[in-house]
Amino acid sequence: MIEVRDLHKTLGNQEVLCGVDLQVEKGQTIVVIGRSGSGKSVLLKHFIGLLKPTRGEVLVEGQPIAGLPERKLGEIRKKVGILFQSGALFDSMNVEGNLAFPLWEAGLRNKKEIADRVAEALEMVDLAGEQKKMPEDLSGGMRKRVGLARTIVSRPACILYDEPTTGLDPINSDSINHLIRRLQKRLQVTSVVVTHDMKTAFHTADQIAYLHEGRIYFYGDAKGLQDSQDPVVQDFIMGRSGDSD
Amino acid sequence: MLRGQSRSGILGSARLMFRTLGRIALSFIQYLGELALLVAETVQAMFVAHIRWRLFLRQVVEMGFRSQLVVVVTGGFTGAVFAAQTYFQFHRIGMESAVGAVVSVSMFRELGPVLTGLMVAGRVGAAIAAEIGTMKVTEQIDALRALGVHQIDYLVVPRVLAMMFSMPMLVAECVALAIWCGYLVGTQVLGISKAYYIHQMITFTGTRDIKMALTKGFVFAILIVFVSCHQGLNTKNGAVGVGRAPTEAVVISSLAILIVNFFLSFALNIFYPAG
Repeated sequence: MIEVRDLHKTLGNQEVLCGVDLQVEKGQTIVVIGRSGSGKSVLLKHFIGLLKPTRGEVLVEGQPIAGLPERKLGEIRKKVGILFQSGALFDSMNVEGNLAFPLWEAGLRNKKEIADRVAEALEMVDLAGEQKKMPEDLSGGMRKRVGLARTIVSRPACILYDEPTTGLDPINSDSINHLIRRLQKRLQVTSVVVTHDMKTAFHTADQIAYLHEGRIYFYGDAKGLQDSQDPVVQDFIMGRSGDSD
Repeated sequence: MLRGQSRSGILGSARLMFRTLGRIALSFIQYLGELALLVAETVQAMFVAHIRWRLFLRQVVEMGFRSQLVVVVTGGFTGAVFAAQTYFQFHRIGMESAVGAVVSVSMFRELGPVLTGLMVAGRVGAAIAAEIGTMKVTEQIDALRALGVHQIDYLVVPRVLAMMFSMPMLVAECVALAIWCGYLVGTQVLGISKAYYIHQMITFTGTRDIKMALTKGFVFAILIVFVSCHQGLNTKNGAVGVGRAPTEAVVISSLAILIVNFFLSFALNIFYPAG
């Protein structure tokens, strides 16, 4: 579904990604883990063409997207939805407006159908009946759920999650983790989850990729990650900084 | 030895000065290039993408309709004080009947468009930069793009069209209020004959002056909207950047209006010569 080959990205003077190779198969859930600032979100944004690589290739369903102009990326982006770290809700619109927006932009004009699709998406994220609330009236967890509902309302084939549990309390995080898993089963979508939350990684992943110093340092399933004897991997899983008091 | 040291010091200072000037010139050229690209992308979007008329109407209300108060007050008081000052000077040489003509021609050809431009740059330009800048730093623009919507089509095109539509009307409103208030002050307060005032004003004001005012309004609209959209779209560094974007939009738009107005006055005088 999505493939990156020898992906390099330099931001300012810093080379954030230095030769990432990754393949996401259809229906699979890959979790990309790594320390804050390791380039996970940068990698994710390449999957949908929000960032252009300095070097390397990004293929979505076999089609290279790195060199495509912004206008031609529209069709690709309809197949791949993304949940942003902050939810990125349009603050000039209420929840219903936010969810109806992608449907309206896709050319749907039947108000009843739009309302039904919005209600269905909200029900999937356990926010049924919250259509009239404005983004400022929502908690952090609710914003992420509405953001997720906006992503799934247009039924994409692949969903990208950028730090879905960052900034949430443990109960809300657990709830989002279950939601991701439930959506995978219900919608049969391909998913890429970027996180540094190991609970999210172990709960949602079919495969885990550990991004370290701009490269995929480890790739394998959750058991393989836990069993790894590599000290770099173990330090990350156990949350050991190596600093002392 | 000392002479050699002072010579190398002067050379070092000159090098630093040229380097600084070069850097300023390069960043100015880069800024103009970015602005030109934004204009080109917007013009392209107007032809290849569908126009969102609902957003256009919303922006007309926001930019045009809601700017009326500030424009009317500016025009009214400027016209009134301009009539009074002109009268104080002309009265000494017995030419007070020419006050109407001076107020009218000056407001149409210079003051009306420039003052409206400056007021709209302050009100609308700042709002555009702040709104788009906030959307940029909160990833709302990325969200738009991720949903397959081009940011220029959605954010820039409706604002550009709304500004081009609204500004000439705001200029007309400003000038009309200025002339009316000048007339009131001139005839009711300062005692100029109504018949002379109107006669002189009509004699010296022609359609060329109206065309000049509207053309300037249109050009200033383009300046304000592109400068402000560019500032918004290039906002960085979170809240600090969002705070800086409107300030820079207003400063750059205002300076651009004043500078462009000088050259525009000479250029338009060829097509619409002063009567």
